[in-house]
Amino acid sequence: MNANEYDVIIIGGGITGAGTQRDCAMRGLRTLLIERSDIATGATGRNHGLLHSGARYAVNDAESAEECIKENMILKRIASHCIDETDGLFITLPEDDLSYQQVFVDSCRKAGIGAEIIDPDLARRLEPSVNPDLIGAVRVPDGSVDPFRLCAANMLDAKLHGGQVRLHSEVTGFIREGDAICGVRTRNRISGECEEFRAPVIVNACGIWGQHIAELAGVKVGMFPAKGALLIFAHRVNNMVINRCRKPSNADILVPGDTVCVIGTTSTRIPFEECDHVAVTPDEVTLLITEGAKLAPSLSSTRILRAYAGVRPLVSADNDPSGRNISRGIVCLDHETRDGLKGFITITGGKLMTYRLMAEMATDAVCRKLNVDKPCRTAETPLPGSEERSYEAVARKIWEKPSMAQKAAAARMGTSASRIRTGDRSDEALICECEEVSVGEINDAIDRLEVSSLTDLRRRTRVGMGTCQGEFCACRAAGLLAKAHGCVERERGDLVDFMRERWKGNFPIGWGDTMREAEYTQWVYKHVLGL
Amino acid sequence: MKLQEITESRHNFEECMKCTVCTAYCPVLQVNPLYPGPKQAGPDGERLRLKDPFFFNYALKYCMNCKRCEVACPSDVKVADLIQSARIRYDKSKPKLRDRILASTDFMGSLARPFAPIVNGITGLGITKAALDATLKIDRHRTFPKYSGRSFEAWLRRRSREQAAFPEQVAYFHGCYVNYNNPALGKDLVKVLNALDTGVQLLEKEKCCGIALITNGMSDDARKHATHNVSVIRKAAVDKKLKVVATSSSCVLTLREEYPNLLGVDNSDIRDSIVMASRYIFERLEKGATLKFREDYHKRIAYHTPCHMEKLGWGVFSEKLLRMIPGIEFTLLDSACCGIAGTYGFKKENYESSQAVGEALFSQIRSVNPDIVACDCETCKWQIEMSTGYQVLNPISILAEALAD
Amino acid sequence: MKFNSVIIGGGLAGLVAGISLQKEGLSTAIISTGQNALHFFSGSFESLREPAPRIAELFSEAGIGIHYSEGVRLMPLGTFREAALSLDDVSIFPTSHFARKALIVGVTGYQDFFGSFLAEGLEKKGIQCRLRNFSLPELDTFRQSAGEMRSVQIAPILDRVWESAVREIRVLLKDEDAVILPQIFGFQDISVPGKIRREIPAKVVFAGTMPPSVPGIRTQRLLKRRYETLGGTYLAGDEALSAHVHKGTVHSIVTKNLDSHYLEADNFILASGGFFSKGMKSNPFQILEPVFGLDVEFASDRNDWYDPDFMKDQPYMGYGVRTDSSLRAIAGGEMMENLFAVGSILGGTRPELGSGAGLAIRSALAAVDEILKTGKR
Repeated sequence: MNANEYDVIIIGGGITGAGTQRDCAMRGLRTLLIERSDIATGATGRNHGLLHSGARYAVNDAESAEECIKENMILKRIASHCIDETDGLFITLPEDDLSYQQVFVDSCRKAGIGAEIIDPDLARRLEPSVNPDLIGAVRVPDGSVDPFRLCAANMLDAKLHGGQVRLHSEVTGFIREGDAICGVRTRNRISGECEEFRAPVIVNACGIWGQHIAELAGVKVGMFPAKGALLIFAHRVNNMVINRCRKPSNADILVPGDTVCVIGTTSTRIPFEECDHVAVTPDEVTLLITEGAKLAPSLSSTRILRAYAGVRPLVSADNDPSGRNISRGIVCLDHETRDGLKGFITITGGKLMTYRLMAEMATDAVCRKLNVDKPCRTAETPLPGSEERSYEAVARKIWEKPSMAQKAAAARMGTSASRIRTGDRSDEALICECEEVSVGEINDAIDRLEVSSLTDLRRRTRVGMGTCQGEFCACRAAGLLAKAHGCVERERGDLVDFMRERWKGNFPIGWGDTMREAEYTQWVYKHVLGL
Repeated sequence: MKLQEITESRHNFEECMKCTVCTAYCPVLQVNPLYPGPKQAGPDGERLRLKDPFFFNYALKYCMNCKRCEVACPSDVKVADLIQSARIRYDKSKPKLRDRILASTDFMGSLARPFAPIVNGITGLGITKAALDATLKIDRHRTFPKYSGRSFEAWLRRRSREQAAFPEQVAYFHGCYVNYNNPALGKDLVKVLNALDTGVQLLEKEKCCGIALITNGMSDDARKHATHNVSVIRKAAVDKKLKVVATSSSCVLTLREEYPNLLGVDNSDIRDSIVMASRYIFERLEKGATLKFREDYHKRIAYHTPCHMEKLGWGVFSEKLLRMIPGIEFTLLDSACCGIAGTYGFKKENYESSQAVGEALFSQIRSVNPDIVACDCETCKWQIEMSTGYQVLNPISILAEALAD
Repeated sequence: MKFNSVIIGGGLAGLVAGISLQKEGLSTAIISTGQNALHFFSGSFESLREPAPRIAELFSEAGIGIHYSEGVRLMPLGTFREAALSLDDVSIFPTSHFARKALIVGVTGYQDFFGSFLAEGLEKKGIQCRLRNFSLPELDTFRQSAGEMRSVQIAPILDRVWESAVREIRVLLKDEDAVILPQIFGFQDISVPGKIRREIPAKVVFAGTMPPSVPGIRTQRLLKRRYETLGGTYLAGDEALSAHVHKGTVHSIVTKNLDSHYLEADNFILASGGFFSKGMKSNPFQILEPVFGLDVEFASDRNDWYDPDFMKDQPYMGYGVRTDSSLRAIAGGEMMENLFAVGSILGGTRPELGSGAGLAIRSALAAVDEILKTGKR
């Protein structure tokens, strides 16, 4: 068999694609994942990072709620190093209707979500940042999840099961034989190289961009892009997720994640053409701060690190071109039965929380087509790094007296932290001081996790995600990448791209300390370093 | 207030621009590789500790709390406060016996003082020093401050009526050192203030300011001291409307800044009343009071700004006061840490780094070769005297010596 | 306390003003809110293109070696930039082809010196490069805290063991006619860079590193020492909070540390820097000068403060306080009789005075001249 032939090709390196590749690979299929950019660049990496308990959907969408709580419990088991089990509060403010609380709790319980009404006083003690004016609080098993880490771990596990990955490769067309799709043509966006890959089944897991891929394949999938804007605050203001106990609305979720917390989101319908260029407007920033301060008043005077926006992959119910009938649920389309096109499956809709279930559904569909009869094991098998539930235990197992950077590495990498080389002190040198990322951790990411640029590296290690937004670490990391790739010239351009990308998220909130930091960064890069 | 018009955070840790200037001025970092440095231990670490106390690093104990990082910080981040309050919040280890002894300056003083000649004799003996070195890990190079036979408090109490006769009055927070080890400094202050027609009163019953308790991990005890001291100072400062002066810069910094910032003890109504004696005297002279100096007083004085004086920003008062004395040839030493940092340098494990930190200062003193080194801190005095052999006096004592009778 | 002039800001502009006034016998105080931009100084006084005897004298009296020649200097990422007046640490070449072969030597584990970028840049200019690292036992000890292996940690050690470093470098040196080293020599001991140049038998070039800048910190320390030796009062770590102003004349300054003890003076110089140094502050609604409430020109729509492209000039960096031709500051449209604004707080409002270090020095000297002109009151 030809080297470019696989059992299944998955297009899209978001969490759905990576999860699908993992599932397929674990069922013994030869898989290839193709992504036009990097992993987790679409909706996967552009949301709250909320590990839903399902409570948010309990009242209006029981099906989603049930899916969420099931997957919530599965992810806590299989992806512990990507997850922070913070629990969450649904608070009622004086302006909200307290009677909603009982409806909410009843719906949660019906969906199997442990929801417990607690005294506002207890809520204030559990989460000191919460709006002290609250008149009601419900505790639910919400948490936070690092989508980049989750996506990378899925990709890595697929690779460990023989999967192959082509990042920065764009699908330019399909190879067809009669009424069947049997391969893809790609072009590498960095090298310009064009390739062809063949497989009897191809999965379209491109989220919002799935509409475009479907068009290339000659079928129609109607997506309805909805932009959501979010703000990252520079440190963890809260340690529990805070939600409003009311009908879901704008900017009513505050999620602590790693060293920061995120408020979101807004919801604006945008034309499909704008999906690649979403920007946060000043009005959205104001709205997010105003509403956020109602959840945790200190947000009104807490330093903001970045603003960003994502596009939700909402999909119209099958063959409803009007878009009136939008579903937030999972949509798995077999285009053979739907459109008479063999060998093509679209998996879309859904949410980060249900990626594993989506992957299972897509893989089941793939297996049916290939006549493979293997059970799904992704719900029981921990992702690489999640073999141990507590990072504290991981750190203590690997190092006798873990340093701050080693502790941080254990928190980010889970059991994979044992891969960081020790012995050579140069590997312990810090690259990113804000997030405590060492040379060893970066080199491990370069070795295993398909890194071609600083931005890729950031998604895998948090380099440049901290307070200084890459000011100090970018140059250092660029040095390591230049060495790994053997090309300084490319790295010089990469460094410029990286600083541009960081600034894109900074200037919408560019006042106060952010402006100070920005001025300093300009100074250092333009006047001191001479970039 | 409009949204985001200002931003604020605990000890300003979010103001940190990661510029790393603090690390350039950290005396510990330059000699002790086990210390992660002020930026990492302070604002960087704070973000991680907020995620999980697991990220607390016990190496934070190497911070001397000299606060030079704070003076250097262009962003007004309270770096040392961040480090010390992290220790208070997260360090669950029990202080060692040695640290308890070193920290309990007033308790030790009250025990030792009645037996001063014996204690001084014993602690001065080589064999005792060796034993302390071996058992308690108090470095053998250190000389324990001598205990005085009679406390300053007792001395001043017997003169309370005579002091009350002066038209102006101040209260004096003398601190443990003046009370038990060096009553002469207290007497010098009384002499200078009396020359300004000002009488000196004791506080109702002061306790040790608690600085050594804080740095030795005994913050609960420190808080008790703080609460007590604030209440007795309040009686003087609020009820009697007196200024409360002190001759030790570390005591003043602790009373004014560490109480609210580290221990959470509110001192807002009395903070402005607590001042260094040198500031009080300077301001009196500026308002027209006069001192008469000897004509035969000729000394070359080099002034060392103690770390906590640097943090207070009041070295200028001591400097200007000394420059007023005719016949003094004045040199301002480069502001640098002497390395003792209170009880830090007494600990065996810190001896070498303590000396290495101070070396820049010592060599400058040797090259200036003054008659007297002036400084407002007792532990700097011990360190500089031990390390250079030069005599060190508090500016107040120099002032007293230079006064015409 | 009363002075002839009180200077707010202890960076390059403030110190140049303070030293110049003290030299003229005027008493001054400098209020310095923490350390300053000299700590990120590249070593080259950008935009000072003329040989200025007055500046040369000021620096040499402070013990700081500077030199003037027109040409280019090597930047830390391997590019070249025009240069003229610079610290002695910085080499200025007539052209970028300053050598045939270069040995680039870094310190093992030190990430803030960009050897591979330098090599690539130099090879583009036809200079063959070899990259090596050296280490010393004294540095190895420090690598225990490699987490923070920064210029300011290595430099004090190299002050003590620079001779061993030279030995290591000489062993590495083959037939190269140039050696490129990180600019981390001479932290306390100012003679070290010169000694290294003498001891290595090749053209030694010190290339900049990630801040903090070792020559910059040294420059700050020497200027401050010079200022204090002249009798100046440097209030480190203090902050000007507000001012007492009456009919366009400033009478005194309130500071954080001295609280009720006001600093009075005949003249005031505002050298408090740009945004980083908090000479100017910003919030979502406006940009302001916090001590005197001086007029600052800025776009009313916040979107216009920035260019979305990081690499383009940023409009906010051009914002500064308004001044008249004599650098007297303007508040509410009215000129302040005895308040001069100098240095980065001028932003881009006075392009004729240059930018960066050049602007700091030129504007500071202009304000000093103005104070001297109005007479030593």
